Amino acid sequence: MLLQQLANGLFLGAVYALFAIGYTLVFGVLDILNLAHAAIFMAAAFTALAFAGAGVPLPAAFVLAIGAAGLLGVLLDRVAFAPLRRRNAGTLVPLISSIGAAIVIQGVVRGIFGPDERRFGASLVPAATFHAGGLTFGTLDLTILIVSLGLMLLLSFVMRRTALGRNIRAVAEDRVAAALLGIDLERTIALTFFIASALGGAAGILVGLQYDSVSVDMGSRIELKGLAIIILGGMGSITGAVIGAFLLAVVETLSVAYISSSYRDAIAFGVMFLILVLRPTGLLGKRALRAA
Amino acid sequence: MLAFFAQHSKLVDQIGINALLALSLSLSLRAGQLALAQAAFMGIAAYVSAIGAVNAGWNLVECALAGALAAGAVALLLALPIGRLRGVFLAIATIGFGEIARIVEVNASITGGAEGFSNIPNDANTLWIYGTLALTGTALFFFNRSKFALAAAATREDENAARGVGIDVARVRMLTLAGGAVVAGLAGALYAHANFFITPGDFGFPRMEQILVYCVIGGVTSSLGAVAGAALMTILPEVVRFLQDYREVTSGAILLGIILFAPDGIAALWKRRS
Amino acid sequence: MHPRSVVMVGLVCLFGASAAFAAGGPMAGKTVKVGVIADVTGSAGAYGTAQKNAFDLAADDLKAGLLDAGGATVAFDVEDAASDPAQVVNLTQKFSTDGSALLIGPTLSSEAKKADPIAVGASLPILAISNTAQGITTMGPCVYRDALAEEQVVPEAVARTKKNWNVKTAAIIYGDDDQFTKTDYLIFKDALERAGITVVDTETFHKGDVDFKAQLTKIEGAKPDLLVVGALVQEAVKIIQQSNALGLKAHVIGGNGLNSPQLFKLAGKDAEGVVVGAAYYVGNDYPGNKAFVERYQKKFGIAPDQFAAQAYAAAQIVAHAVKGGAANGAQICSAFKSASNISTVLGPFGFEPSRDAHAPSAILQVKGDRFAEFR
Repeated sequence: MLLQQLANGLFLGAVYALFAIGYTLVFGVLDILNLAHAAIFMAAAFTALAFAGAGVPLPAAFVLAIGAAGLLGVLLDRVAFAPLRRRNAGTLVPLISSIGAAIVIQGVVRGIFGPDERRFGASLVPAATFHAGGLTFGTLDLTILIVSLGLMLLLSFVMRRTALGRNIRAVAEDRVAAALLGIDLERTIALTFFIASALGGAAGILVGLQYDSVSVDMGSRIELKGLAIIILGGMGSITGAVIGAFLLAVVETLSVAYISSSYRDAIAFGVMFLILVLRPTGLLGKRALRAA
Repeated sequence: MLAFFAQHSKLVDQIGINALLALSLSLSLRAGQLALAQAAFMGIAAYVSAIGAVNAGWNLVECALAGALAAGAVALLLALPIGRLRGVFLAIATIGFGEIARIVEVNASITGGAEGFSNIPNDANTLWIYGTLALTGTALFFFNRSKFALAAAATREDENAARGVGIDVARVRMLTLAGGAVVAGLAGALYAHANFFITPGDFGFPRMEQILVYCVIGGVTSSLGAVAGAALMTILPEVVRFLQDYREVTSGAILLGIILFAPDGIAALWKRRS
Repeated sequence: MHPRSVVMVGLVCLFGASAAFAAGGPMAGKTVKVGVIADVTGSAGAYGTAQKNAFDLAADDLKAGLLDAGGATVAFDVEDAASDPAQVVNLTQKFSTDGSALLIGPTLSSEAKKADPIAVGASLPILAISNTAQGITTMGPCVYRDALAEEQVVPEAVARTKKNWNVKTAAIIYGDDDQFTKTDYLIFKDALERAGITVVDTETFHKGDVDFKAQLTKIEGAKPDLLVVGALVQEAVKIIQQSNALGLKAHVIGGNGLNSPQLFKLAGKDAEGVVVGAAYYVGNDYPGNKAFVERYQKKFGIAPDQFAAQAYAAAQIVAHAVKGGAANGAQICSAFKSASNISTVLGPFGFEPSRDAHAPSAILQVKGDRFAEFR
């Protein structure tokens, strides 16, 4: 059973990682916690649902929806964060702004799609399972794992080998110096939001597919987990977020298996707490953004 | 006037309790600590006071004091491990603590668990609530003029400089955390005694978000601002009720609007005019 | 004028205008005002929306004469509490002081426990339509309930599974942080014990969870005959799907929370054979039900679920009381006391001496794309 539980943790971790990366990217570059990230996670799932429902083939719907999520992220920045940047409002105020934006996004999605849970449907979601070495998992789980890892590798490539990636890392390191070096700050920030939100949106669509369910409050549970993960991994570190995500997922799954399902979340937060106390800057202890 | 009160006394009570919560958070925020554990302290005190009233027959004052002391004690214990944390790390750690507290409340049998705790005597009326608020307000008034407040402000501005001047930063942080916890504890006890019934879900992350919104909307460094922010956000859902289906989006938009329009809070707007 | 001042004045005007909206004027004439508190938005939005729909339909039916209140006007004032207990409290106070003759709701038991005492203190009778926790009707002498409590339904449901499948062992998975699902667990546990079925594993989850593989893997190891799901439909769907994917071979049974068309709509083939202990069967033959289902489907594009049915039944019960001459709170309270054999979409309805619902239960099983009766 241990192996099966570890496998369960692996699949859970892949999605957690995609979500957490978005949080950590924005924090690394802007020093702010974007509490509307979970709302974008949810809105992307609904967008994919709408496209799929209109007959668009699933892979295309996926790409379109994460693009839409990215654009929503850019819009979010324009409306809720950019004006505050111009007025030097610090780090607490954007947090509240993101809460307001999250409420608006939720309200709009609920207004369009209604309060009920929705489904992608069996015709779109493959239900095949297969067994290997005594373990059971679904083809869907495997697909999600591959897509997640693929996106993370893509991000790593962008961050390390493209000019955009260099710019993002420069802005994260020192905004003033980056501006002096001629980097277009607003453009870089907008692109950062695009990437972060696209990844968060991808996580949302994948979770929606994995459990074949999309609902307006699907972001609330993962929101807090995401916070715990970026702490575990170290704020601003992408690799940290990924490692933290898998670690948290495995801790959660194993504590259900061997301790008690009631205290699962308490144990996860307890571990986070412990790590914070021992290593206040998180496992990978980096303050500035580093590439995976 | 009396008719208005008869129809809306519960709302008025809610404003009072939320104002207390906002004040309690503002204490920590003024020392530059983003310690988001207010909802947890509120919950701990609410349960202590509810259990005390129902199981041990304590009266309101005994319950409130017990609750506040319990919250303060937990805060002092919490201050040790979180002492080295700053900024968003501190925020998340305290949010995590809040979750742990909530889960313990869900699983303990003495709290009634997820089914909640019922039959709490309803003896916290408007007088008690606003009396406590007035008391707290007065205490803060004197606090604002004390040297300790200066030390807290200095810690907020620049921690290293403050330390350099001889301020015991660790003590400042611990005391503001505990002080805020005591106020949140009073609010929690009053909440329990005004609502007949409490559940762990009343004291989780959504509640914490609300309290944070009160403070930032009102103005982080101003007590009056915290109270104004709490009043405004508590009344808001009732005031926009006529919008029906558009209520949710409008509330979010109003929140966004206020924060973009007045990032330093309502209190700052007031100060600028005078 | 300074732009900031303009905005300030504007905000004050907005607040003032809406206060005027809220104040309202005195009601006169043969109208019976009924306050309805439902969570149309927020986390309980799915239930509250169904309830609001039912009252909207009831209002139409009253106008069209399909619901008979003996010529009097029954006005349902449906307000959204957005799943926020503070708003439920404020709305309860509003209805306690604005001349309403009856309060219907609120949606959740946890909200009711905070707010009902206010109505009780103001002598406003209450008719609960979806509070199934213990301790609701004991809150006051005029607190009634038309929603069958789980303990009135579960034992029968368990007995039938034993009869049909010779169940000897069971595992339970339930939500430990929600009053409804926790109570479900306690009642099922009791019923299983009485039926002589051994519980071989108990697992918990939290509201909002999407991944249950860890718990289900553990349960699979204990190889139970029956899996009891103490959950609301959102989690139940995922639990059922994931248990099938893991190869868990047990029969599945759940309580009230699973009584929703969403169960087979979202879980598809995985939901086949699931037994649900419920209070309403959408295909029942009681007089007026089929027509109600048709009208509801036509108006809202979806079949009514248990929440809608219990809400509509409340409207029927109220109409019956008003027809019998009840026009204010005290009269409605005594009308309810002596109510028996009222024809509702739930079947023939009356109140027990304990003020709980006295109505037929509906033990259902998922067959294909609908519920069927499970005998």
